[in-house]
Amino acid sequence: MLNSSCEKDDFCIEPITSKMIIRFYNATNITQTKTVSDLSVNPEGYDEIYSNVSIDSIVIPLDVSNNQIIYNFSSEGNQDILSINYEIEEVFVSRSCGFKAIFNNVTVTSDVSNDWIIGLTETLENTITIPTIDNESSAHLQIFH
Amino acid sequence: MSANAQQVNDSIPKDSIVYKTNYGLRLGIDLSKPIRSILQDYNSGIEIVGDYRISKKWYIAAELGNEEFTTNEDFTNSTSKGSYIKAGLNYNSYNNWLDMNNEIFIGFRYGFATFEQTLNSYQINIGNSILPSVFNNTPFTQKGLTAHWSELQLGFRAEVYNNIFITFSGSYKVMVNITDPTNFKTHYAPGFNRIYESNTGFGFNYTISYLIPFVKK
Repeated sequence: MLNSSCEKDDFCIEPITSKMIIRFYNATNITQTKTVSDLSVNPEGYDEIYSNVSIDSIVIPLDVSNNQIIYNFSSEGNQDILSINYEIEEVFVSRSCGFKAIFNNVTVTSDVSNDWIIGLTETLENTITIPTIDNESSAHLQIFH
Repeated sequence: MSANAQQVNDSIPKDSIVYKTNYGLRLGIDLSKPIRSILQDYNSGIEIVGDYRISKKWYIAAELGNEEFTTNEDFTNSTSKGSYIKAGLNYNSYNNWLDMNNEIFIGFRYGFATFEQTLNSYQINIGNSILPSVFNNTPFTQKGLTAHWSELQLGFRAEVYNNIFITFSGSYKVMVNITDPTNFKTHYAPGFNRIYESNTGFGFNYTISYLIPFVKK
């Protein structure tokens, strides 16, 4: 009887599904972060998450209903496309938080047009695999431009 | 002197009547579960209660039940289903007048449940996101779950008619051992009720019972 009230005795405070954190670096001086000017970001088929901002790091969600998501990144009118492929692991967190997704074997591929994104690795390759995305404590992906 | 006094006492007939009360097996049924299934989000349950008086103040007591309860949370919906037994002692702290047979009792129980829990549906928690979440409603049942707990009860029992008793009682439970489903958690154990974060639980019973008198003492 006592346990049936509508009030919740707990709130979700544990970390849930992580988003992907991206930092932008200077392609000609790879240890230096570099602000992207006039950046707009949207997942294909959805509204923009960032619109015409100048920024050196962003946070983007991955799609838990698919094993892939495609993002459009444009800076000063130049558009590059990032394809992100991954496996989803569903993990129970708690009564109030429910389940979260952990993304494993996350492969990010930049289109070869290199309109403004030059590479995703320090050797400026167009693809990189991230073993797992399970927290938001540090950047997962570096984008060199 | 003392021998004389003893003799005097013995020679005078006692002026008080010894009021005897019934000893026997008392059996009953919990009415709170059927009431809850009408008034609240409670699926179904039945509980048989019984006790046997062993002395003026002490009773051996047990409850036997079966229930089904669905827990609906923000991101999960799960149903627990199974049986339980609770056994222990009641101590009656109430001093009855005359031949009355009422109780304010404190009860101690050991509880054991065997049950299954089905995760009926769940949604992945993605927080604030413009992307859709996944709603999965393929049920997943984990059988063979068990719970062991200790329980402290406080109850009020009144003899409302000859050998017929009404009882209100509340209980505080502390989980001793609980098994959880793979990649999930047991949210409700039959007999224990909702399992709170601290592995504690609460209960409330309203029972009607009948005393089968064996002997008057």
